[in-house]
Amino acid sequence: MKQENNKAYKFGMVIDLDKCTGCGSCMVSCMSENNVPFKEDESNKKDSITWMRVYKLTNDKSFPDTQVAYMPRPCQHCSGKGGHGHSPCVSVCPATATDYGYDTGIVSQIYTRCFGCRYCMGACPYHARYFNWWDPKWPEGMENYLSPNVSPRMRGVVEKCSFCYHRFQAARDQAYAEGNKDEIAEENYQTACTTACPAGAIVFGDLNNPEHMVHKIVKPDPHPDPRNKHVIGKSRNPKVFRLLERLGTNTKVYYLSEREWVRKSGDNYLDGEWDKIKNHHGASVSHD
Amino acid sequence: MKVDRRSFLGLGLGAAAGIAVSPVGMKLTDDSSIWTQNWPWTPVPVDGEVTYDNSVCSLCPGSCGISVRKIDNRPVKIEGREGYPVNDGGACLHGIAGLQYLYDPSRVKTPLKKNGDKFEEISWDDAIAIVADKLAEIRKSGVPEKLACIADKEQGSVSGLLQRLLKTFGSPNFYTMPSLESYLELTAATLHGEGKTISFDIENASFILSFGAGIIEGWGSPVNCFKANASRKERHAKLYQIEPRLSNTAANADKWIPVKPGTEGDLALGICAVILKKNLFNSTATANFKGGLNKFGALLQKDYEPLKTAEITGVKASDIEKIAIMFAKSKMPVAIFGKGRGDGAQSLKELVAVHTLNCLVGNINKKGGAFVQPKPEYLKFPNESMDNIAKKGFATTKLGPYMNQLVNKVNASSQPVIEALFVHNANPCYSLHDSKSVKQAIGRIPFVVSFSSFLDETAKEADIILPSHTFIERLEDVPSCAGIARTVVGLTKPLVEPVFDTKNPGDSILLIAKALEGSVAQNFEWETYEECLESVVPDIWDSLSEEGFAVISEGLPSGSPGVNVSFLAKNPSTIQAQGDFDLTLIPIDNMRLINAGVPASPFAIKTVSDKVLKGLDSIVEINPLTAKGFKDGGYAMLTTPKGSVKVRVSINEGIMPGVIGMVEGLGHTFDNKYVSNKGINVNELIGPIIESGSGLDAAFGIKAKIAKA
Amino acid sequence: MDSALIPEGAKRCAFPKFAIGIAVVGAVLLWGVFAMFLCWFKGLNQTNMNDYYGFALWIWADLAVIAVGGGAFFTGLLRYIFKIDELKNIINFAVIIGFICYSSALLILAIDIGQPLRGWFIFWHANVHSMLTEVAFCLSAYFAVLTIEFIPNILENRQANKVPFFHHLAHNMHGVMAVFAATGAFLSFFHQGSLGGVAGVMFGRPFAVREGLLIWPWTFFLFTWSAAAFGPCFTLLVTRITEAITGKKLVKDNVVHLLAKISGWMIITYIIAKIIDTIYWAIVTAPSLGFTLSHFYTNNSFYGYWILIVEIIVCGVLPGALLIMKSTRENSNLRLIAIILGVIGVCLNRWVMVLQIMAVPVMSFDTWALYIPSWQEIATSILPVAYGIILISIAYRYLPVFPQEKELNSVEPVTEAE
Ligand SMILES: Nc1nc2c(c(=O)[nH]1)N[C@H]1C(S)=C(S)[C@@H](COP(=O)(O)OP(=O)(O)OC[C@H]3O[C@@H](n4cnc5c(=O)[nH]c(N)nc54)[C@H](O)[C@@H]3O)O[C@H]1N2
Ligand SMILES: Nc1nc2c(c(=O)[nH]1)N[C@H]1C(S)=C(S)[C@@H](COP(=O)(O)OP(=O)(O)OC[C@H]3O[C@@H](n4cnc5c(=O)[nH]c(N)nc54)[C@H](O)[C@@H]3O)O[C@H]1N2
Ligand code: SF4
Ligand code: SF4
Ligand code: SF4
Ligand code: SF4
Ligand code: SF4
Ligand SMILES: [Mo]
Repeated sequence: MKQENNKAYKFGMVIDLDKCTGCGSCMVSCMSENNVPFKEDESNKKDSITWMRVYKLTNDKSFPDTQVAYMPRPCQHCSGKGGHGHSPCVSVCPATATDYGYDTGIVSQIYTRCFGCRYCMGACPYHARYFNWWDPKWPEGMENYLSPNVSPRMRGVVEKCSFCYHRFQAARDQAYAEGNKDEIAEENYQTACTTACPAGAIVFGDLNNPEHMVHKIVKPDPHPDPRNKHVIGKSRNPKVFRLLERLGTNTKVYYLSEREWVRKSGDNYLDGEWDKIKNHHGASVSHD
Repeated sequence: MKVDRRSFLGLGLGAAAGIAVSPVGMKLTDDSSIWTQNWPWTPVPVDGEVTYDNSVCSLCPGSCGISVRKIDNRPVKIEGREGYPVNDGGACLHGIAGLQYLYDPSRVKTPLKKNGDKFEEISWDDAIAIVADKLAEIRKSGVPEKLACIADKEQGSVSGLLQRLLKTFGSPNFYTMPSLESYLELTAATLHGEGKTISFDIENASFILSFGAGIIEGWGSPVNCFKANASRKERHAKLYQIEPRLSNTAANADKWIPVKPGTEGDLALGICAVILKKNLFNSTATANFKGGLNKFGALLQKDYEPLKTAEITGVKASDIEKIAIMFAKSKMPVAIFGKGRGDGAQSLKELVAVHTLNCLVGNINKKGGAFVQPKPEYLKFPNESMDNIAKKGFATTKLGPYMNQLVNKVNASSQPVIEALFVHNANPCYSLHDSKSVKQAIGRIPFVVSFSSFLDETAKEADIILPSHTFIERLEDVPSCAGIARTVVGLTKPLVEPVFDTKNPGDSILLIAKALEGSVAQNFEWETYEECLESVVPDIWDSLSEEGFAVISEGLPSGSPGVNVSFLAKNPSTIQAQGDFDLTLIPIDNMRLINAGVPASPFAIKTVSDKVLKGLDSIVEINPLTAKGFKDGGYAMLTTPKGSVKVRVSINEGIMPGVIGMVEGLGHTFDNKYVSNKGINVNELIGPIIESGSGLDAAFGIKAKIAKA
Repeated sequence: MDSALIPEGAKRCAFPKFAIGIAVVGAVLLWGVFAMFLCWFKGLNQTNMNDYYGFALWIWADLAVIAVGGGAFFTGLLRYIFKIDELKNIINFAVIIGFICYSSALLILAIDIGQPLRGWFIFWHANVHSMLTEVAFCLSAYFAVLTIEFIPNILENRQANKVPFFHHLAHNMHGVMAVFAATGAFLSFFHQGSLGGVAGVMFGRPFAVREGLLIWPWTFFLFTWSAAAFGPCFTLLVTRITEAITGKKLVKDNVVHLLAKISGWMIITYIIAKIIDTIYWAIVTAPSLGFTLSHFYTNNSFYGYWILIVEIIVCGVLPGALLIMKSTRENSNLRLIAIILGVIGVCLNRWVMVLQIMAVPVMSFDTWALYIPSWQEIATSILPVAYGIILISIAYRYLPVFPQEKELNSVEPVTEAE
């Protein structure tokens, strides 16, 4: 079986939910970067293509103790149970139209191969996948702003956040051209949502590279979580969590917050469970 | 018969088998799938050489630096410009979506002339000639003051050209839309004297006490404020947000202090009272106070002691004291104003009261405090020469200081008070309170010239439209105002050949002036706007053209200006909302919508929550205690003294009981199916209330009721 | 006028009456076909599916017809492999029902996918990890098997059988049918199971996911078992309906009782397994992922505990019990109730395993997604029913489907077998 080796990249993201303002720049930057279409009515959020979607979370308390936080959600680029690359969506796609990149950790989506069975959408608990229910249409003249780096999708296929894969390709080409085959500089590969964020809430980089900011913030634990052998790469930073970590999806998008209620809303807990679990961060912590 | 059937069956089976084993089927199957991968109705963007170009976004007063990625000179992506002194990299969603404005098929594509109810296309030459003829006629009849102009702002060379045109034509009636900058200047004038402006060093402050200023909803220079706010986390700087609703800023703040709408000024005075009473003020700073500090102090102790303030504002007396102590004892505190629209509707009492807090604790012109300094002046227009008509006309009294006086006078008189109006970069028929009467006023002006790029609500009222380039296509100096601590002038550059038959508004103004001939034309001897711009910014042109921006002031201003508290010492009254319904409707901000400027782009509209806009319905926020009997998402009739509308209800714990919040920026009524005719323009539901003593429209909201629909 | 085609000695209604009936059902069929073409030409925006509800009404219909079509493989297995000879009297009909179910399932799949012209990528670019790949392969292969099983019956048509080649072909095919039945049973085992696996492997969906054996989650086995258990109920139900419509007895009671008894025991064993599975899932699997059982059945306006009770008790335990007890099984009304409940039960199970999965929120801040199908979905989901009725009518009219028909309906009364 193929394994992620240490030399491979493992691109990931950390989003600071205390800094995120819910402004939506990341959403628009993503749409503009990736030729995402738009239609007349986008107020039904269940058929509105937003590779990056910003959810609004509340602490469910009444006035004036209510609190609100925003949770930007790109594709989580799950590496699946044990981190073996069987993300929920990849493992179900019958046509290999979505695939796990063992060299990058990026979950790809091949629009021309996808035949639109939508099994992957059912499998993804994050609603990160979007189906092209309609033909994409741009008002006359607006096709002029479309970028050649990302092909527009046809009706009937699924699309999702690619971690701006074309930017990875460009950075890799640049690294090659500079004779630097094995190393893409952190600043040379940044996603469009990261660079757009006016609050600097998103940090992107190689989780395998200790020099990269994402690694420094997350401090991913290389050992499986002793409480759940499927979970790998748990953060050793007590303020960092992942969405639905307990399912063993092993996402590579991490979230950061000082607020306990925000961290708690990242997953589901039985009554009283959170208080036992909240201080557990990474296997090595409990190993020593 | 039998033989026939047999041979027929045989033939059929044979053919089927033949086709099945031949490559025809496979080939057709393959071809059809390849066809689906190349549907001709799905566009294929053309590839080419990649280049990057810098410019400045002028969609809002923020003036962020942008970097534009182009493919064979075709712009494909706008991003924030790294290293730009305002925004350093980030950009807001509106700026990023800028190309949707550029290529919007509903733009005004060529000059238009109103004929009855319809517009017809005309040539630039004809359009300029019609405008010049009309203006010449007004001048000839000796009433040049009957030409008025509404612009977005006073700053910048295009506004400078318009002001110059009015002056040399002979009219004092130059108006700007309300803007944060204008309130900063007014507040400075009231407390510190004329010719000054205020800015806030949010990025260094250790304690920010915000009276409703939505520092992460687009207040001031939005991206700059976002960054300053985000840096609080590392700096351990605190933000307390005072406003009736849990805005994103309030949610992001260390503490949200709900306050009864419209009583922020009283709260500020209550805090002043505690600071004075507990001797927490800075005595060096108060030595600079004039205009009756004692009287002011006595007034505060009488009318604004904590229990009384608590009753007015709904904030607990103990909290008022706590806030006062925190603010005064903080190392680098700053109090910022910007309630409501920040400037759309603003009471001078409140602006001054809040800024008095800064003055009391002595944080003026200190790191992390409020900066008071002369208005930046970088434009050097040559002196005007005016003929007698111009001199006489220019010396007449302006119709009133603000837009609302202009609107009232036009509507009140049976004779045309104004014969001709220029509207540049402003959409008063949409964004002023009681927009219906604004529209009526504009409609009564016999000749309206719009420079708009879009057929917006105001442009639709125009007689002639001289369409402008969008910011992607034009050259312009854009000064950052909006209360940021550093003053930067940026250069917006043409990044692409004009998509339609439009002009730089500067050039349009030059053409009009030249066509007027005589003494007006003499004042506009530049061949082109570009030449004009270069000559009026002599000191910073090199920096503008090479760097794309020039920093004209930075760092701590020197000196400590005097503080004149006489305005407050007169104990101005607090504005009450119009009407006598039980609830209060307030406009709410939403970073994903635009309430001033072009309407939000299709991309931005796409990001708007389904708790704000659902289908074509506006959704209002109501506390569950107020919304008894209403279903979340259900319909309701919302009534204010200005009218009734059908809305949907979103039950929200993040708004004070008794208050209804309705988002600004929806309800545009022109022809663009992606952004228009969605929701309701809240400005139609709110009427102006003029504050005595300032003349400002100070309506923070309006009384309202809600019933089941 | 079509008497030359009607099986010898069988009585059929007059052709005009038959034609009118076909026309009425045909109109419904055309409505479905129209909706189908709308979906093909305009795309899946014709449905009310959305990004939360990527599987919708017709995929439930798809799974349901496959489940009830399980009567074919299971009866085949019993008849040819376990040599339960009585079942030869119902096997033809079981095969036809299976053929209808599987051809419908394939048609629905062709409508369901966003890019029908690329449907073959599932074979060409097959991903061996995907349960759906397994489904596609087995389903297609099993459909081929069903076609082969159906052919001899077609060739037994009075006119076709006159062609010596066809006569011999049919005869020889009967001879080797055990091989196909075995293949069919094997394929069925896998694709029925894989359909269950489709849900069970979705480890991102705590409502669906199950632990299991090697690569197969428990739902894999439960689906196969339930299809085998409830499929015969459907065969019996359709037989009963056909008898009611034709006003004739077509299958002898001993055959019916036997199949009902087998079905009853299958249901009982299945439902015990299903209850164990549900309890394990409710108290071990879901809680280990942070979910209580109440999460799946409360806080929404449709999915309550009732669905669990109806599926397992009312439409599982109850029909099972009615069918294993001789007295109730041989009471034709109670038997009818039992087989109807059984069919509803398995359909409800498929509904839950396709639609409720989509509706349950997973992220703590997500909301229930409820879904109302569009008319196009309803029309395309009814299409297979209309198609099935027409095919059964034609088959019944022109093919010797029921070997006992002549005997049971001869002019002179014959002694009942019992
Ligand atoms: N997205 C976006 N950004 C923009 C603009 C835009 O149109 N769209 N416009 C730009 C311009 S021109 C300006 S001037 C600035 C304005 O920016 P801001 O001054 O931030 O104006 P708003 O965001 O409208 O309002 C600020 C807050 O006031 C609250 N509020 C309303 N009524 C009351 C009240 O009675 N008391 C108190 N305390 N609060 C109240 C609102 O709920 C809101 O949270 O934004 C700039 N940035
Ligand atoms: N009730 C209420 N009233 C308010 C406010 C509020 O929040 N509430 N906000 C206040 C504030 S903060 C402000 S700043 C003002 C703003 O008020 P306005 O400035 O009147 O409003 P805008 O809608 O900004 O008008 C700008 C116009 O410029 C046009 N435009 C955009 N780009 C270009 C271009 O490139 N060239 C040309 N020629 N035209 C262009 C747009 O079509 C738009 O019509 O409104 C104020 N009024
Ligand atoms: S751009 Fe940044 S601040 Fe804005 S919503 Fe996205 S992550 Fe949050
Ligand atoms: S978030 Fe969803 S789409 Fe993305 S890798 Fe995970 S399962 Fe797949
Ligand atoms: S919809 Fe496309 S990507 Fe998703 S599982 Fe089906 S073929 Fe694969
Ligand atoms: S990483 Fe790229 S594709 Fe993914 S959400 Fe961000 S901008 Fe969009
Ligand atoms: S904040 Fe204002 S200037 Fe900056 S990008 Fe957004 S719209 Fe443009
Ligand atoms: Mo403004």
